Amino acid sequence: MNAARLWAVARLELLQRVRTVSWYVLLGVFALLLVGVTVLSFLAFGGMASTGDQRGAGIYSTIVVVTLLLVVLVSPTLSGNSLNGDRDAATLAPVQVTLARTSEILLGKVLAAWITGLAFAAVAAPFLVIATFAGGVDPVVVLVSLVVLVAEIGIIAAIGVGLSGILARPLFSVASTYLVVSALVFGTLIAFGLGGTALSSEATTTYRGMQYNADGSPQCSDGSTDCWNDPERMVCGEPEQSTYNVPRFDRVWWVLAANPFVILADATPAEYDRQGYPVDLFGQITAGVRGSQIAPDLDTRYDDCAAVQPDAGLTPAEIRDATVPSWFVGLAVQLLIAGALLFGAWSRTKTPARALPPGTRIA
Amino acid sequence: MVTAGITAVDVRRSFGGVHAVRGVTLAAPVGAVTGLVGPNGAGKTTLLLMLASLLAPDGGSIRIADVDPVADPAAARSRLGWMPDALGAWPSLTVRETLAITARLYDLDRTAAARRAEELMDEVGLRDLADAHARVLSRGQKQRLGLARALVHDPSVLLLDEPASGLDPQARIDLRGLLRRFAAAGKTVLISSHILAELEEVVDDAVFLVDGATVSAERVAEAAGRSRTWRVRVAGADAKAAVLQVADALGLDVARVPVDRRDILIPFASEDDAARGLRALVTAGVAIAEFSAATGLLEHTFLDLGSSDGARS
Repeated sequence: MNAARLWAVARLELLQRVRTVSWYVLLGVFALLLVGVTVLSFLAFGGMASTGDQRGAGIYSTIVVVTLLLVVLVSPTLSGNSLNGDRDAATLAPVQVTLARTSEILLGKVLAAWITGLAFAAVAAPFLVIATFAGGVDPVVVLVSLVVLVAEIGIIAAIGVGLSGILARPLFSVASTYLVVSALVFGTLIAFGLGGTALSSEATTTYRGMQYNADGSPQCSDGSTDCWNDPERMVCGEPEQSTYNVPRFDRVWWVLAANPFVILADATPAEYDRQGYPVDLFGQITAGVRGSQIAPDLDTRYDDCAAVQPDAGLTPAEIRDATVPSWFVGLAVQLLIAGALLFGAWSRTKTPARALPPGTRIA
Repeated sequence: MVTAGITAVDVRRSFGGVHAVRGVTLAAPVGAVTGLVGPNGAGKTTLLLMLASLLAPDGGSIRIADVDPVADPAAARSRLGWMPDALGAWPSLTVRETLAITARLYDLDRTAAARRAEELMDEVGLRDLADAHARVLSRGQKQRLGLARALVHDPSVLLLDEPASGLDPQARIDLRGLLRRFAAAGKTVLISSHILAELEEVVDDAVFLVDGATVSAERVAEAAGRSRTWRVRVAGADAKAAVLQVADALGLDVARVPVDRRDILIPFASEDDAARGLRALVTAGVAIAEFSAATGLLEHTFLDLGSSDGARS
């Protein structure tokens, strides 16, 4: 592995990209979208009284999530045809015949696609700075979320380059890159939803109601009319039992681990307000994902004739503390996919070539 | 001792059921330009890809400047320059950048790469287009860029796949000069081309490739030795008027001597016969203005190999 040659391959790619007008148009459209997102999130989070002093956190996290979304949508086109597109244009073989090794060519292409994707993050930078001025943004959150964002951009770049080396047709490999990325973004969600519902359990709920008079007041055993909240004196009905199905998301929550947005949210340290509720989008996503790890109560009881219990529900902060993080598993799964695809591309691209992908020629 | 710059022994390569190269044995010596001649689909490009270390042969052995490109592609690549027939140039890079980045891919440092790019632009005549983007180059200019790219690391073996197609006459003369200089500097050149007249002027020797196999030296000699046609033009006389005097001087039946526009066509079995014929014409006082082989030796051999091959199958 030689850094100079690897960088030369990346430079080849980058020089061409920075000289295409459409690339700047895309970045401009992206900036416009972010203007809109920033304005809307200022309106949305600025109005939240509970997070008044922390609204910057909400705005910041929204911009990071939207940036990741747009990068996910754009990146496959940046890397999904890098090898087979070059082969079609007869510009791959002239590089292969130099001292650049196959691994250097592959990683140079990944690096170029990565840097290209990071340009989107760079466009988002001013908006992120504006968000931090709104206050309440923790530097650790900034650091971690940006590291995850950068890593995700790189992983998508590697998936695209890998598929472009395995599949012969550029159009097909771009589409396949979209499919893989969509499988991670939407596929995990669909699998989570359908899987959790398919694996549902039967739950019973027991309800004992209190008896009421015709005028709506509770019947009291001592004949009085005011026995609210006094189980001793209430007249209670027979317990009624009913059964229903509850989805078991606690059995499939791990499917979401490989979702880029879940990784971003799960890895970032969540910030909570005094009531234990998240102040930013990362925390809200985390609350949903972590909450699904908790098994549903299959035997619930509602008893009007029992003394009012303090609410046993957990706040998102408590849920986060009671459950396990999964971002590193998800990141490992993604790295494994990207690595396997790159290896496949390497064995299909290495020269002197033995077997060629069907329908291709070296030059 | 003449060492071989390129040797190939019984090299074979097939793609699925297609046997593109089924038995190539050749030696391109150092200090010479060797032509690779064959009809479309004969396997020239496939062979050059194998020599260029991009394609692994199914069998046989290859040595590029004494290096096996299959076992040690990096060493082979540092010694060989390859100019593909498909001209892939990075469209939005300038000529200078293309050459400088290619030099970086050959491990030249930044300053050496920049200097080499300048040298090469002068060498192939792209100086005026140094800052032009490759997408605006004409086919011929792209071809020169491809040639310059193949020369970036000063290779000792040069493999050129159809380098002359698309070049204007001046560029062809330049290319010829460049290849001759290259060979004179003790390097090896293997060049494939369809333009046989062009090839004839630059090559020292030629390898014939038919149906994926090299044609044996005996068959080439046999084909080359077969009767060839000479064009004869008599000064100041129409061909129809002159044909009688020419036929008389050579002792031929005038009815069997064809005429093509201004020229009279005479078949000779060998070059010696042709020389004797010319002497007879001059002795007979015929004012010979032109006396030349109607087809180049390469073309003649090529056509003869093609037709005998056609007759066989």
